[in-house]
Amino acid sequence: MRETQSPVGRFVAAWSALSRRFFPAYKFPRSFSAVLLILLLLGEAGVAAYVMRDLARSYATVESMYNGSVQVLLRFGDVQYEAQETRRSTLYALSTNDANLQVDYADQSRSADRRVTEGIAHYLAQVRTSRQAEAGHRLAADWSAYLTVRDDVLGLILEGSPKEAVQLDLSRGVPEFDQVRHDLDEIKILYDQQASRELTTVAELSRRSTDRLTLAVACGLLFGMLAIWAIQRSRMQAAVQLAKLQMDFVASISHELRTPITAILTAAENIRDGLVLGREQLLEQGSVITEQGSRLVELVDQVLLFSATSQSALSHPLREFRVEELIAHSLRSTKSLLESAKFTIEQDLEPGLPPIFGDLSLLSQCLENLIVNAVKYGSDNRWIRISARLRQQRRDVLIHVEDRGIGIQPSELPHIFDPFYRSPKVVAARIRGTGLGLSIAKRSAEIFGGEISVSSEVGLGSTFTLRLPVAKERIREAVVSSSNRTRIDTI
Amino acid sequence: MDPRATSSPRVNSTTQSLAIIINRANPVDNLSLVELRRLFLGERNHWPNGHRVAVAMLDYGQPERQTVLRLIFRMDEKTYQDHLLRGMFRGDVFVAPKTLASPTIVRKFIFNAPGAIGYVRASDVDGTVKVVRIDGLLPQDKDYPLQIDE
Repeated sequence: MRETQSPVGRFVAAWSALSRRFFPAYKFPRSFSAVLLILLLLGEAGVAAYVMRDLARSYATVESMYNGSVQVLLRFGDVQYEAQETRRSTLYALSTNDANLQVDYADQSRSADRRVTEGIAHYLAQVRTSRQAEAGHRLAADWSAYLTVRDDVLGLILEGSPKEAVQLDLSRGVPEFDQVRHDLDEIKILYDQQASRELTTVAELSRRSTDRLTLAVACGLLFGMLAIWAIQRSRMQAAVQLAKLQMDFVASISHELRTPITAILTAAENIRDGLVLGREQLLEQGSVITEQGSRLVELVDQVLLFSATSQSALSHPLREFRVEELIAHSLRSTKSLLESAKFTIEQDLEPGLPPIFGDLSLLSQCLENLIVNAVKYGSDNRWIRISARLRQQRRDVLIHVEDRGIGIQPSELPHIFDPFYRSPKVVAARIRGTGLGLSIAKRSAEIFGGEISVSSEVGLGSTFTLRLPVAKERIREAVVSSSNRTRIDTI
Repeated sequence: MDPRATSSPRVNSTTQSLAIIINRANPVDNLSLVELRRLFLGERNHWPNGHRVAVAMLDYGQPERQTVLRLIFRMDEKTYQDHLLRGMFRGDVFVAPKTLASPTIVRKFIFNAPGAIGYVRASDVDGTVKVVRIDGLLPQDKDYPLQIDE
């Protein structure tokens, strides 16, 4: 029972819960997901554009074919019929002695010939090739010649000379009309050939479209497979990273816990074994137990605080407070540390800073972590400068924590806010820490709409900047937001 | 040129005048009443341009026909029919006149037949046919000899 309640066991259990909550297997960098998503969308958009373009071209070709060949062929069917009607009506007039009927047939013949003439004119207006134009002009001339004969035949019929009309029709009308029929057939063949060629083009285009569509779909599938592969790889990397972090964390925490526990146990054994003589030695051993116990509590607090800042639904007692109050609160909390480390604190606060809004305790912890960080890596210069100023245009306050310490390698800058991350150099230098301080600070700032950024030069020092929105803006956001991440207790 | 497209000024005449019309291709412009009578009675078979004369008569009983019988043939219907039969029997008349149902058909007949001659009211004349002068007079002229008796 005592084993399960040991600090190490509790920390390991806490970490397991934390890791399950915050580092699930599917988690991978957002930028990576965004790039994948954009690639997928671009790929699909490209596929769609490709297919649409091909479809549009196919449609245009078919439309052109319809207008260019099919429609002309249909019209020419009508022209052929009307030409036959012209001749047929003329012959009907021959077949009767009734002058009234003869006039009717003549009238019908003339109406039909007018439609033929219009059809030929329409055709001539639409021809595309010189061969088609040549055939069209030949047809127009032959048709005109036939109409001249037809007029004479009609005249003879109406004048009462059917015999002469028949003779004229046989000798000149029939050959002229045969010529017209031949011209019409020739044009029809021309357009049949054109339609066949265009049909071949459409078939070719269709085949090409199918090939392209297949290629495009294959590309889409390839994109999808690449995306799935990338996601799986990202998951695997996340899992590997998680396992490594877990191991690092356990190793780090074990070490951090072992030191105070060993000291406490040693002091307790000394007392139990009667090695502590006199009041002075007893006080000394008691102090060791107290200090190391406090260190243990601090460690536990850090882990619990990390857990608290990571939960999506939290209740924080919110209120307005001044920036000066926040800084003073943080400095009070770290006073003993700063004094024992003999650090010089320099403050430069812009007068009349507007109040900010949030949980003073949590934001103070955030600032404390930045100060502790500066102390831990502040080198022998032992100097920290805390400054604050207002950015009017953005309605926020910037709090800078500046040190002249060892600085941070550029390659490590993207990772320093990762939970449990500790620089290999720091680990090698045996500088104590859990790797949670900056992560907690960052999350605390983000809870209240703020953020933390850092600039650093190796060997010259680092500047951490805490940005917090001013109170009015924060209140408005908090009221409007339906998020249950924070509960407003006091406004 | 399509004769139907020709825009001949419409004759502004009194509706009582009888216009003698011929094909627009016919070069004849003027006829005397005597020549007119010979043409209508079939005593003259060909025009100067060689086309055979084809006479278009409106159907029986119509005022225009009565006017032609009275003023040109100077006969009544029965006498005219007898004259026609005798002429065909003797071979004086080669082609019997065409009897047509309406002025519109008369116009179309004359439009289609180059050697045709016929008559309609002056108000029924259009651009598809040509009005011939009678003794130098057009239907709208004063003293025009062919007036319809209704």
